[in-house]
Amino acid sequence: MDSSNDDALDIIITNVVATFRTRCHLNLRTIALEGTNVIYKPEVGKVLMKLRKPKITASIWSSGKIICTGATSEDEAKLGARRLARVLQKLGFKVRFSAFKVVNVLAVCSMPFAIRLIDFTKKNRPIASYEPELHPAVTYRIKHLKATIQVFSTGSITVTGPNVQNVATAVEQVYPLLFECQKPRN
Amino acid sequence: MSGAGVSCPGCGSSNIVDDDLYSQAQMVCVDCGSVVSEGVLAHDPNGGSDVSYSWTTAVTRKPCVNLVKGLQRVKAICRILRVNKEIEDLSQTYYKQAYQHQTFIKVSLQKKEVLAGCCVLVSCRLLNWPITMATMSCLLDADPMVVGVVYQEMVKVLRIEAPIVNVTDVVEAHSQEYKISLLHVPEQLAENSKDLAKRAVALVELAADTWIVTGRKPIPIMMAAIYLAWQSLKPSKQRLKFTLDRFCQIAKVNKHRTALKRITEMKEVLCKLGREIPWVREEVTPDNVVRQVDDILKNRYALLRRALRTHEDALQAEDSVTEEVASSQASEPVEHTPNASAVELYGLNSERTQQPGDGNESPCTAPELQNDSQESQESAPNWGKRMLFAPPCVTHPKRRRAGLPGLQDVNGDEEISDSEIDSYIRTPREAREFALTQKILSLSESEKS
Repeated sequence: MDSSNDDALDIIITNVVATFRTRCHLNLRTIALEGTNVIYKPEVGKVLMKLRKPKITASIWSSGKIICTGATSEDEAKLGARRLARVLQKLGFKVRFSAFKVVNVLAVCSMPFAIRLIDFTKKNRPIASYEPELHPAVTYRIKHLKATIQVFSTGSITVTGPNVQNVATAVEQVYPLLFECQKPRN
Repeated sequence: MSGAGVSCPGCGSSNIVDDDLYSQAQMVCVDCGSVVSEGVLAHDPNGGSDVSYSWTTAVTRKPCVNLVKGLQRVKAICRILRVNKEIEDLSQTYYKQAYQHQTFIKVSLQKKEVLAGCCVLVSCRLLNWPITMATMSCLLDADPMVVGVVYQEMVKVLRIEAPIVNVTDVVEAHSQEYKISLLHVPEQLAENSKDLAKRAVALVELAADTWIVTGRKPIPIMMAAIYLAWQSLKPSKQRLKFTLDRFCQIAKVNKHRTALKRITEMKEVLCKLGREIPWVREEVTPDNVVRQVDDILKNRYALLRRALRTHEDALQAEDSVTEEVASSQASEPVEHTPNASAVELYGLNSERTQQPGDGNESPCTAPELQNDSQESQESAPNWGKRMLFAPPCVTHPKRRRAGLPGLQDVNGDEEISDSEIDSYIRTPREAREFALTQKILSLSESEKS
């Protein structure tokens, strides 16, 4: 999964967002009253429930759709989702765990060199876009992977994509382009 | 005439006569009076009418009013910025194209005005007339973020590849805004705008070489450069006492808070270079570095090289000392040990190597391991500490809380104990009490209000 260089690059996954459905209507007031670690937001129409282990925040809608954020791996996201479904089951709802899907993965990676952003943008137009007045990083979008990479001048990059495999492939694809435009750290 | 061979559909009789009604020929049944068939009422000219219906009812196509107004606004913006005719024409073309594209045709009028500004911005960039987005958003009186969004969408839609604005180009134009010539302020504070711009450009170039410019917004950097340039062109006591606030007041410019940070960063860089000047005896601090700015800028490349070389030498000395400590055998003495601490370590090492046997191994390998882990910790996230010039975000990193240990290797089949799930659920008694307190709280709030 890491780059194909001699020193492996550490890709650290910082956030995984997943959704699933409970196939039944949920009474948000009941969840807000009887659940612990919940925040009820009646103006938006959802309840936020935070699990301690794994560290996950779930947004629960009355239609039965639930979004889990904060996991650090796809498996952890699934575990958290199952746990949440179990909690709801114990609260008395006829929950069935279905349609689990990882929707977004955010990872960060640090290159061992600094990057010349203007060079990188010039070489990769129009896929790369750099507006220093709006954002300090270059935004590089890989269409066929549906991944977005933000490249900072210090050499750190953040990658977002639909799943962990895409994120890893995106890093592999972009590494040679970054290597070309490196700024020696001196 | 009867006997036409047609029977009436109403009564079935065959008694049907020609009975014309005005100019329309009609065949009528005599018995029941129903019309069996009839002719055409009016005659169209041969081959159909000359004028088709849609043509007669069409309204003359007038150009969209908002498009015309938008083009006039584009022209007005160009005139305010005093750009040349090519840029004006190009921006009008782009505006026409973008306006009629589906992403922009149904957008609010406010956004259409922002679009006009963005067209001018893009044409200026393409034809080498440097202008920042912040200037444009000031002109349009719009939120810079909105301008950014519209700009990026427009560039995507029209498929334009615009070059990036170089800060050094914009400095000269930007410094025109500062009203510090002899016409506006007293003589001790006045400065020729050409000199000011030249020095500011030199400061910005120096900042660009030392990681201050990359990724940052240009206007605070330019403001900081112009302020320092103004102070250093005549470093009198009066000028040095002037804060950025007062400077912006007399120059009639809006102050940016981040410009203060840039000033500190630039002063740090200038101090690092100022230390290398051979004829300066006193300590160079951010307070008194402004007097040296003139000399520093004149010889900045030479000073940069010297500073980097001194830094490299210092690092090499450190490295060789740490290698000494790591090796468990007595090695050759280090070439030069400038620091007192280095001498201490060397002394300790020689002490340790004299200790007998096994006791020798552990204390010597332990510092080696420590050093290694320290170095890898240092070098991986914080290469900034080892370098003379590094981005400020690396030199002063934000502290992150250490991740929770023991949460690795989670698979989906872990046992979920009932007690753990119960910890997320309130008992019925707790739930009732909770509901009660909520009610009391809301009542007391409504009483108060």
